[in-house]
Amino acid sequence: MDQADQVAKAFVDHYYSTFDTNRSGLGNLYQDQSMLTFEGEKFQGSSNILAKLTGLPFQQCQHGITTVDCQPSGPAGGMLVFVSGLLVVDGGEHPLKFSQMFHLMPTPQGSFYVLNDIFRLNYA
Amino acid sequence: MEEQVEMVGKAFVDHYYHLFDNDRPSLALLYQPTSMLTFEGQKIQGTDNIIAKLVQLPFQQCHHVISTIDSQPSSFAGGILVFVSGTLQLQGEDHPLRFSQMFHLIPTVEGSFFVLNDIFRLNYA
Repeated sequence: MDQADQVAKAFVDHYYSTFDTNRSGLGNLYQDQSMLTFEGEKFQGSSNILAKLTGLPFQQCQHGITTVDCQPSGPAGGMLVFVSGLLVVDGGEHPLKFSQMFHLMPTPQGSFYVLNDIFRLNYA
Repeated sequence: MEEQVEMVGKAFVDHYYHLFDNDRPSLALLYQPTSMLTFEGQKIQGTDNIIAKLVQLPFQQCHHVISTIDSQPSSFAGGILVFVSGTLQLQGEDHPLRFSQMFHLIPTVEGSFFVLNDIFRLNYA
């Protein structure tokens, strides 16, 4: 696994464990220019994105990640991360399948924030 | 601005899958030497290698049906991210396969776009 793959995997692990245990903790992964498209609905900026994610109609959620693919997005040091997996909501019987893509941009502090985020359930 | 990004995303998707389903070698016009494809986890770089992979896929005929298209500006000087889900029907197969794919489109000097990043995954049951 090369360095980009390691960064992508570390990001994915961090993102979904935060989502599943402390959703409001996702706030510091987004900035004012961040964009989320969630099942076709568009949100811009950390506050609006967090409002959507913390307002989702379930208490508990668990993501299981099946695949993670990443590629560098261009000279600014950005990284595209493409994820597929399963999610179980409030202990439901049947896991939902989802796909999600993130465009991560480096911060001056040496970490990454999410500039672009697109989420889709994969229905049967 | 937002609507324009959506329009470009949809026009690109229509064009891309039409070419894929009818004239796979001509997809070469959409890639450049810097382009990257990850196809079911396999990493491929540059037009020649990408087209070699796509034309050698083990089927003659293929038909993509698109379910969802989501687009966002990528902040890379006019770049656009396009996230697609749909089904693909292979000739001779009973059941369509479900897939997701993302493209990162970069403007060309001629006023169109090329694919810098392309990631494809089947969505298994």
